[in-house]
Amino acid sequence: MLKYIFKRIIWMPVLLLMVSLIVFFLGVYGPGDPIEVQLGNNYDQESADRIREKMGLNDPVVIQWLNYVRKAAVGDFGESYVFKNREVSELLIPKLIVSAKLNIISFVIAIAIGTPLGFYAAVHNGTVRDPIVVIFSLVFYAMPVFFTAPFLILIFALQLDLVPAAGWGGVFDKRIILPAITIGIPGAAVFVRLIRSSMIEVLDTDYVKLARAKGVSENKVLWKHAFRNAMLPVVTIMGFSLAGLFGGSLIVEILFGIPGVGRISLDSVYSRDYPVIMAIVLLGSSALVVANLIIDFLYTLVDPRIELQ
Amino acid sequence: MFSKFKIILLSVFLFIMFSCGSDEISEENSSVGKSSNVAPGLESNSGSSSGSKENVFRINFSDPPTFDPHLVTDTTSASIIVEIFSGLVTLNKDLDIIPDLAESWEVSDDGTVYTFNLREDIKFSNGENVTAQDFKWSIERSANPDTGSYNADVYLGDIIGVKEVIDSNGGIQEVEGVKAIDDKTLEITIDSPKTYFLAKLTYPTAFVLSQKYLESMGDDWIDSPVGTGPFVLQEYQIGQILKLKRNDLYWGEKSKVDGVIMNLAGGVSMAMYENDEIDITGVGLADLERVKDPNDPLSKDLVDVPPQFTLSYIGFNVNMAPFDDENFRKALSHAVDKELIADKIYSGLTKPAYAVIPPGFPGYSPSINGLEFNPELAKDYLSKSKYSDPATRPRIIVTIPGTGGSPGMDTEVISDMWRETLGVEVEIQQVEWATYLQDMNRKRLQVWAGSGWQADYPDPQDFIDILFYSGSDVNHGNYKNEKVDDLILEARTELDQNRRFLLYNQAEQIVVDEAPIFPLWFDTDGYALVKPWVKGYSFTPIIVPKYKDMYIE
Repeated sequence: MLKYIFKRIIWMPVLLLMVSLIVFFLGVYGPGDPIEVQLGNNYDQESADRIREKMGLNDPVVIQWLNYVRKAAVGDFGESYVFKNREVSELLIPKLIVSAKLNIISFVIAIAIGTPLGFYAAVHNGTVRDPIVVIFSLVFYAMPVFFTAPFLILIFALQLDLVPAAGWGGVFDKRIILPAITIGIPGAAVFVRLIRSSMIEVLDTDYVKLARAKGVSENKVLWKHAFRNAMLPVVTIMGFSLAGLFGGSLIVEILFGIPGVGRISLDSVYSRDYPVIMAIVLLGSSALVVANLIIDFLYTLVDPRIELQ
Repeated sequence: MFSKFKIILLSVFLFIMFSCGSDEISEENSSVGKSSNVAPGLESNSGSSSGSKENVFRINFSDPPTFDPHLVTDTTSASIIVEIFSGLVTLNKDLDIIPDLAESWEVSDDGTVYTFNLREDIKFSNGENVTAQDFKWSIERSANPDTGSYNADVYLGDIIGVKEVIDSNGGIQEVEGVKAIDDKTLEITIDSPKTYFLAKLTYPTAFVLSQKYLESMGDDWIDSPVGTGPFVLQEYQIGQILKLKRNDLYWGEKSKVDGVIMNLAGGVSMAMYENDEIDITGVGLADLERVKDPNDPLSKDLVDVPPQFTLSYIGFNVNMAPFDDENFRKALSHAVDKELIADKIYSGLTKPAYAVIPPGFPGYSPSINGLEFNPELAKDYLSKSKYSDPATRPRIIVTIPGTGGSPGMDTEVISDMWRETLGVEVEIQQVEWATYLQDMNRKRLQVWAGSGWQADYPDPQDFIDILFYSGSDVNHGNYKNEKVDDLILEARTELDQNRRFLLYNQAEQIVVDEAPIFPLWFDTDGYALVKPWVKGYSFTPIIVPKYKDMYIE
C-alpha cells in the first residue's frame, strides 16, 4: 500500500507540469493581454512593448514557462501583474485560509444535516415521510445562492437584526453563520439524496435480508450492516468536496463581504493576471490529486475488501 | 486625477455582473454611464460593525492595485493615492487648477518654461522636508522605464527630456527639462506652449515622493508609503480592510475626521448601510424607487451625486464598409430616439448626447448642432448612401464587452430602432473584456458599443484631440479629416484659452456632422445615501482629495 501511495505521489509533479503547460499556453495564445487590460484606452504599442519587455513577456513562451516552473518548484509563484509589487502567495494565502475556514464550516453543516435526513428518508422508504424529505431537499438544492443569500440577509440581518449583514471575523464570529448556511444547505441536499439512495440499495441486498432473517436487531442491521456500506459512494463525494475546500464561492463571498479567494480568481482571469491564475489552477489541481489519494485510502477503511495496489 | 479612459464597463461589468452576481441586488446604478457615477469604490464594506459615531468615516471600497502614484492606471488606486500623496497643483471642486505643494508659479512669455515656488512648510508624513530636488527625482522616477509606469508619457511626455528617458531603456536617467533651482524652486520646460500641461500635473503620475525615503527603503517603501497628502495609510490587509488616518504634518488644514475605514471584502452595500455598518452607499436603479419614497426613512439620507464627465457612444470604423459612407452613418444616427430610451429605460438617469464634450466640462459648447432623431431624414440619408440596398449591404456586427450574455438595454433598443426605421439589421456580438480591448486597440472592430470616454483631466483636448486626431491611438474608428486635424494641431499650442476652446468646438462640430461616432449619453445626477451624521462630504466628478473636509457629528 505504501508503494501504491508513493507511486501516486511521484506522478503528481508530472500531472502538475502538464496542467501548468496547458494553462500557460492557453493564457499566452488566447485573446487578451494583461498589459493591454491595464493600459485600457491609453494603450499604445510602444509603451506596451516596453512594459512587456520589462516583465519578460516578450521571451519565447517555452522560456517563460520554464522560468515559471523553475521558480514555482521552489514555491516562488512570482508577482501579480495587477497588484504591483505583491507576491502571489502574499495575495492568495490569506484568502485561501478564509475560504477554507468557511468551506469547512459549510461542509460540517452539510454533513450534519444531510446524513441523518438521508438516513431517515431511506429507512422510511415506502412511507409518505420519504418523499417529503426528498422534496424538501430538492427544493433547497434548487435554490440558487443569489436567492438564499439576500433572503437570509433580509430576514436575519435587517429584520431581526441578529447578525451583521456582511463581514468576516473567522470561525467563531457570528458573521460566519449566514454564509455558512448559504453554502451548506445545498450541500446538505446533495448528501440527503446520496445517502438515501445508497442506503435504499444496501437495505435491499441479500446480506441485509439475511441479517434481518436471522433476527439481528433492526438498529444493528441499520448501523452495522447497512450504513457503513452505504457510506462508500458518500466518501467519494466527500473527498471531492475536500478538494474544493480552497475554492471560493464568488457570489457568497461578494454578498457577505468575505475576503475569500473567489473574487480574486475571477478578477485575475478578466485582467489576465497570469501568475495569479496559474497559482490558483495549480493549487486546485494539487488539491484534486491529493483528494483522490485520500478517497482511495478511505475506501480501504470503509470496505476492507478493497486493496490499493 | 480622473479616471482613466474608462469605460463604463470596467465598473459595470467587472463589478455588477461578476461581483454582484445578479442585477436586482446590485447597489450600483446599472445604467450606462451611471456605474462610475457613485464615487469610485462605493462597492465593497466596513469591517467594524461597532455602530457609528466614532470620528471615522466608513465606506465600501475595493482593493487598490497599487499605492505607487507613478504606477497608477485605475480610478480605485487614484482615489486613495490622492489622499496620501500630492503634487505641485491640484483641482478644486469646480475643476480649477489650484496651488497644492507649489505656492505659486510663473510661466515664461513663450509659454514653455514653468517656474514653481514650493511652500515653505511642506513635509512628508515621516517629517522630512519636501524639496525641489524631490520633485525632480520623482519626475525622473516616473519616466524611468525601470519604474514601469504605464502612462508617464501621457502625463509627463510634454516635458523636454522625458521621452528620451522613457526611450533610453535605462541609459538616460536625467530629465533635461526639470531643474531644481534651489530647495524651493522648480523649473520645468515643455516642448511647446501647451496650456493643458498644468492640468496634467494634477494626475498622480506627477506626484512627489521622498527620494531619501524610497532610496533607504527599497521596494518595501510601498508597504508603508510616505507622502504629502491629508492622510497616511494606517493599515492595509489585502481583500479585507484599508485604514487611513489623519496626516498631522499635512501643510494645509488638517482633516477633521480621525480616519477613514474602507471595507474591501464586499457585501451587499445597501443592506450594510441600512444596518449601520457603513456610512455611505450608492443607489442603483433597483432601489431608487424605494428610497425616493418619502415614507421610507432612507429617503432622508438621499443625496444627489453630480455627473461624471463621460461620453458613452457607439463607434463606427470608417475604414470598414458600410461605415466608410458618411450618409450611412448619418442615417443610423438620425434613426434613434435617444430621449425615449433615456426616459423609459434609464428613468432619466442618463442624458442624451448630441455632441462630444459633456456639459459643465471646460470647452463645453451648447451651440453644437447634433444629429437629432428624425426618421424621415434618416431614410433620406439611407437612400442616398451606397448601401441602401439590404441585399448587397455588408454584414454589420456590433461588438460589446462583457460576459453577462445580455447586451446593454440601450444597445438592444438601438438596434431595434435601426431595424424599425431603416430596415437595417445588425448582429450583436458580446466578447469578454480583455478580448474587446485588444480588438479595439488594434482598430479592427467594425462597430463597438458599451464603452465610452471619461475625462482624465479637465481640458477639451482630452476629448477632441484624444478621440479624433487622426494619429491618436484612441481614435479607434480610424477617423481622419484634415480640417479637424489642422484645428486640433492649432489648438495644441494656442495660448488664448477662449480661442483654443473655439478651435475645439469647430472641430467638434465637424466631427458631429460627419458622425464617426454615434454619441449616446452624458452622465447626469445620480443618487447616493449618506448617513445623517456625516457632514460636508462632497461628491466630485473627478478624483480629488475629499475626506479632509468632512466631519462626523
